Amino acid sequence: MHKLIQVLWPSFLVAGVVEVIFFTVINPRELYLFGDPVYLDPLATYSIGFFAFWLICAASSLTTVYFQRTSDDINHLKLHQ
Amino acid sequence: MNSPAPKSQAAVSPPQEQDTLYAVRQKVYMRAVSGIFATWRWALVWITQIIFYGLPWLMWNDRQAVLLHLTERKFYIFGWVFWPQDVFFLAILLIISAYGLFFFTAIAGRLWCGYACPQTVYTEIFMWIEQKIEGDRNKRMKLDKAPMGPRKIAIKAAKYGAWGAVALWTGFTFVAYFSPLEELLKSASTLAFGPWELFWILFYGGFTYLFAGVMREQVCKYMCPYARFQAVMFDPDTLVITYDESRGEPRGARKKGVDPKAVSKGDCVDCGICVQVCPTGIDIRQGLQYECIGCAACIDACDQVMDKMEYPRGLIRYSTENAIKKGWGSKEILVHVFRPRTLIYATVLVIISLAFVWGLATRDPLRVDVMRDRMSLAREVEGGMIENVYRLQVMNMTERPRTFVFEATGLEGVRIANNQPIEVGAASTQSVNMQVLVPYDAGKPGANEVFFVVYPEDEPGLKLREKTTFLFPR
Repeated sequence: MHKLIQVLWPSFLVAGVVEVIFFTVINPRELYLFGDPVYLDPLATYSIGFFAFWLICAASSLTTVYFQRTSDDINHLKLHQ
Repeated sequence: MNSPAPKSQAAVSPPQEQDTLYAVRQKVYMRAVSGIFATWRWALVWITQIIFYGLPWLMWNDRQAVLLHLTERKFYIFGWVFWPQDVFFLAILLIISAYGLFFFTAIAGRLWCGYACPQTVYTEIFMWIEQKIEGDRNKRMKLDKAPMGPRKIAIKAAKYGAWGAVALWTGFTFVAYFSPLEELLKSASTLAFGPWELFWILFYGGFTYLFAGVMREQVCKYMCPYARFQAVMFDPDTLVITYDESRGEPRGARKKGVDPKAVSKGDCVDCGICVQVCPTGIDIRQGLQYECIGCAACIDACDQVMDKMEYPRGLIRYSTENAIKKGWGSKEILVHVFRPRTLIYATVLVIISLAFVWGLATRDPLRVDVMRDRMSLAREVEGGMIENVYRLQVMNMTERPRTFVFEATGLEGVRIANNQPIEVGAASTQSVNMQVLVPYDAGKPGANEVFFVVYPEDEPGLKLREKTTFLFPR
């Protein structure tokens, strides 16, 4: 649970900031998805955009948490397998 | 509460550990408190929430006064309409907010956290509901220890229901800032919200419930980025909530009205009420801790105890590190509010705020973007003229339709073909193609500077000059 929050919360904060910056500069009506203009309702684009950013940031946080394991953690893991 | 004396430290913390999101946590049963700082805190709850819940209902120019209309990509704020191009103002506003925070923190610590932060405000509201439904601190602790039964279920259900209602209303209000309230109300009457609107109402409402009802002090302790770095803005002259150790120690119980010197003790009667009222569950007597959100609940609580003991107030009070060390009075503390750090913050704050107001006051109600047509560079046309084609995007930022007049200048004999004024609707954008003609001998081959001059028919003084390039064939 602790790890989960470590991944989800910082990524949530950063995703919020990125969302504001990205959509200030870019109009959702000017986006293209696989070569076709995005036909979605702008509110849906904003929302999906936010979750996409969150997911990307969470992937980064997850990597951080993953690499934070000490050599002891890793060795310990192997011994008991 | 009548005689605080016999209570000892053992009564302070209920050992009920919860393994929650961040760390092993002892549930904080905050004791209600009244006093001058509690009144201030409630005043700010009222002010901020009247603004937050009320603003979407306010009308201006026959529209919602404050609407950050995401679908239209326009921010309506009272008399202004902001476009994405105005992001500059948003940036300045953020800088002003940051400097304001630095300024207030340097003077009096975590004023924001203690009084105005939404986390504090909603926790206050949720705890008030809890207190009304479940009763005071002792009743709540008893209820939580009691086995599950019909009465406990009914009380808990009532509390969660009331929290849920407040949370939903908060979520609804939040969405009303981004999506017109009128349409939301229509959807609410049939419960047919747009999927994303409904989602964000539940999302924001859900987080309000989670943060203010369940997580509370953990948000401040583990999740808040500001709490982690606010200490760098503190210096020895910053007002913080301080326990006067030299006056209070050695602490200990004694009978009401006993002179501390007679029992060779300090003024602290060790009643533990300062700990019981603390929303983050710390003991302020251990000194300044990063968990302290500066809510001053312990000051109010301790003052009441001091009154009962007939001791002077202020054993716990707003003071500074230097004041405690050097025994300063309030006059010296006040003098030290004016120090280089606060003066620099204040100066920067004033300058940026003035720049913001100036920028807003002199903001052009018209904006034009000129783009060259990429398809045709330069073309020879009849009468020995060279033609370049442009696409002009005209933004009328006023809330009434306006007719705009176009001129071209910068080269000898330059003119716009089929030049006609164009009407642009209230707070909207219009794109228009323009062919600009220049005699073939009026410029050098390659790029030449030309200007579009645009002004509203009813206000010719507002002339906007936009530079662009005119190409001659080589």
